[in-house]
Amino acid sequence: MSTSNPQAVTLNVNGVPYPVAIDTSRTLSTVLRNELGLTGTKEGCDDCECGACMVLLDGRPINSCSYLAVQTQGREVTTVEGLASQDDLAPLQRNILAAGGVQCGFCTPGMLMSATALLDENPTPTEEEIRIGLSGNLCRCTGYARILDSVIQTSVEINS
Amino acid sequence: MAVTNLPEFIRADGPDKVTGSGRYTADMTLTGQLVAKFKYGEVSHGRITKLDVEAARAIPGVFAVLTAADVPDVRYSYGLADRTLFATDIIRFEGEIVAAVAAIDADVAQQALDAIVLEVDVLEPITDLHAAIADGSPLVHEAIDTYEVTGDTPHSGNIATHSSISMGDAEAAMATADTVVTSRYLADASHATPIEPRAVIAQWEGDKVTVWTSTQVPFDARAGVCETLELPTSKVRIIAPHLGGGFGGKCGAHFEPHIAALARAAKRPVKLVFSRWEEFIAPDRRREAMIIDVTTGVDADGKIVARTGEILLDNGAYMADSSFFAQAAAMHVAGPYVIPAVHIDAKLVYTNHQPSGSVRAPTAPQGCWAIESHTDEIAKAIGMDALEFRRKNIVTSGSTGCVGQTYDEIGLDQCLDMAAASAGWGQDLPDGEALGISVGWWPSFAAPAGAYAKLHGDGTVQVITGASECGTGSVMTLRMLAADEIGIDETAVELIYQDTGAAPAGPGSSGSQTLFNHGRAVEKASRMVADQVKELAAAQLEANVSDIVLDNGTASVAGSPAISIPIVELAGASETGEILGSAAADAIEWPEITGSTCLGEQGFSSWLAPQFSCHVARVRVDADTGVTRVLEVHAVHDSGTILNPVAAHGQVEGGVMMGVGQALTEGTRYDDQGNQLNAGLLEYKLQTIADAPKITTQFVEIFTDNAGPRGAKGLAEAPNVATCGAVNNAITNATGVRIRQLPMTAERVWEAINDSEAAS
Ligand code: FES
Ligand code: FES
Repeated sequence: MSTSNPQAVTLNVNGVPYPVAIDTSRTLSTVLRNELGLTGTKEGCDDCECGACMVLLDGRPINSCSYLAVQTQGREVTTVEGLASQDDLAPLQRNILAAGGVQCGFCTPGMLMSATALLDENPTPTEEEIRIGLSGNLCRCTGYARILDSVIQTSVEINS
Repeated sequence: MAVTNLPEFIRADGPDKVTGSGRYTADMTLTGQLVAKFKYGEVSHGRITKLDVEAARAIPGVFAVLTAADVPDVRYSYGLADRTLFATDIIRFEGEIVAAVAAIDADVAQQALDAIVLEVDVLEPITDLHAAIADGSPLVHEAIDTYEVTGDTPHSGNIATHSSISMGDAEAAMATADTVVTSRYLADASHATPIEPRAVIAQWEGDKVTVWTSTQVPFDARAGVCETLELPTSKVRIIAPHLGGGFGGKCGAHFEPHIAALARAAKRPVKLVFSRWEEFIAPDRRREAMIIDVTTGVDADGKIVARTGEILLDNGAYMADSSFFAQAAAMHVAGPYVIPAVHIDAKLVYTNHQPSGSVRAPTAPQGCWAIESHTDEIAKAIGMDALEFRRKNIVTSGSTGCVGQTYDEIGLDQCLDMAAASAGWGQDLPDGEALGISVGWWPSFAAPAGAYAKLHGDGTVQVITGASECGTGSVMTLRMLAADEIGIDETAVELIYQDTGAAPAGPGSSGSQTLFNHGRAVEKASRMVADQVKELAAAQLEANVSDIVLDNGTASVAGSPAISIPIVELAGASETGEILGSAAADAIEWPEITGSTCLGEQGFSSWLAPQFSCHVARVRVDADTGVTRVLEVHAVHDSGTILNPVAAHGQVEGGVMMGVGQALTEGTRYDDQGNQLNAGLLEYKLQTIADAPKITTQFVEIFTDNAGPRGAKGLAEAPNVATCGAVNNAITNATGVRIRQLPMTAERVWEAINDSEAAS
């Protein structure tokens, strides 16, 4: 029905290869959510404004709503589903819960991905660096303080 | 997923939310599901001269196209039944739905929209509040006098409702005042802006429809579907998956009826997901613009003797749930002060803007901002410190407020002193920095709510509640209440919520009611379970029922802890293998008010379990650019007993942050046709983590009878009341100029500074 032009590609997401046929015009967030069933990645604006769709591409944070899925071929995508191990939360996930940094949770996946990228690149960020690193992720619920605390706490744990 | 390394105190829905396994409405897919899209009116005011959907219907892959002709002819809205699901003849705002389509995918749905022929005679939009109520103004609703009226909703012309609160002879009292101060304040409209745009999925099985929707109020959504599609309650089930924030914006029945109707016509499940633009323009819940004129007289001692005011509120095109807004605004402009003589008139005015409706503490941030700015103007006029002036005039325990309600134990005076101390009121600050103070208030609401509780044979408990968790954590607190009543660990309590097919009815997540009302029902249902457990334990332990204590998973005899039996054994040994409780929250009596009259009474004059707050903001203003940064907010709240401190702090921090946004950046701008100019997150600026001030929160915990469980009052809205006023007063203290329009953008601050420099 839609004038699609599917192309066979293999997407690597959270260490899993997904051989799929996708319309080349589809965004990464659409493909993650609709084709791969990875709905942890959220869409709050579809326009690069809110950060809810943040995922990592080769470890760097990108807004997946504004990135074509086919462009990620041969590269490694990490989504929120890839943060925890089989039965253990990642330290950041545990800390954001413990700090009370999760309310409605809609911003949480994107926030976690930005914070993960930040800590991977800079395990000892200053408060100012955390604020800059997470400023592309809007949260309407929390007032951010507890999110900030959880990143600081995780940084402390990583370095001890 | 099953996770094992959880911290001790976490919300029950937390693991779902941090791992991405939790499903929100837009995350769901049903077999054969179609995509829904709406055709909007596109102009803010117009008469439909042609609407032809035949070409759209003929497109392959289009399964249904609906207009007003395809649904029952029902007018709805509380107060004045002014609305239909689809525009019939007149388009009254840009987000008015003219038609809805369901198609095989989004591209085809868009083709169908494009194929709809809509011709409109554009009418002059009605957007100016004063012009709208002037004699001879064209009407937003020509047939208003034929609409069904509910409640005390005095209306005429473009005035949707008019409320006034009056006590004593305000005019005569004003004449005795030593100093009289008059102010005008304007507030722009703003938005709830949850990060999750709303989504709705409907599926019919036979003559029953199930609707999954991002609603805060599943039972209201059900009522809306039943009313507009003329269906019995038993045929409609509403399920809200995880909800990505609401802030009032997702109250009421919104688009559930449209999608249910589409799914019925298409004979397939249908899914709607809003774009961010739609989230801005289409819902009938956005924060109302206001014009506030207020005059206050004080005596030589600095005591308020009289206050008069006139308020106009922009109702937008339809009523939604705004019928109480005029009265609520009047209460906020009167404020939490002892004022012997008051007369405040408030008019809710129809315009061709998006409809106003409940957004977190409706009318309060703007009303409080205006009156608290005015309060500082009075203090300045009589040369008194702003803190001192408030101390002298605020309501305290036993005093009588603006509508003749006498308060029992309240803690506003403590809020004031603690916030001032926390912020270091009176300290010297660097140039360009200053503190500002504001007090605020907000009621709690009693509403009917029920709950079930079940103790299973394995010792776990299920609580089934009509409550909704829009993120606040208040439903999570219900788990604590049940655990406490039954004497088991919180983690053994499972919550079933946000499903009208499972739970007894209740108000859901609106009006800070979750803990207040659902909490009382859960407490009572759990106590019924506990009572039965105690009876079984008494029989087993050969003790008096009244001596049985439930704690830590064990029933024991008071004073003889060794005589005990695990609760799990008692549950298993009961006749059915489980122990059931079901209860409705007891009715609560509303406080009396004496000596005042309230026209347009909508239940917002007498305040049950009133909540109080004081916020002190520290700001830094760059005089060259007008840019204001809020550096600190010191918030102290009297919301009764605090049962869940993590959630309570989270509510205050989030509410303050929303307040900072409203104070500085969040305001709807319109073009000259009444269409929104900034319906996107780049143009309508929410605060980011880079902007976030340091927020210091304290609670004054005073036990109040006639409150929620264990003396808890409401909480989620109250933190959104006082921040804007504190920020404005701080800006004035930093710059010497007074900002009279909300939001207090850099441009407005810069202009005010420049105007005052030019004048001097
Ligand atoms: S959905 Fe991608 S930035 Fe908002
Ligand atoms: S927790 Fe709701 S948007 Fe951040």
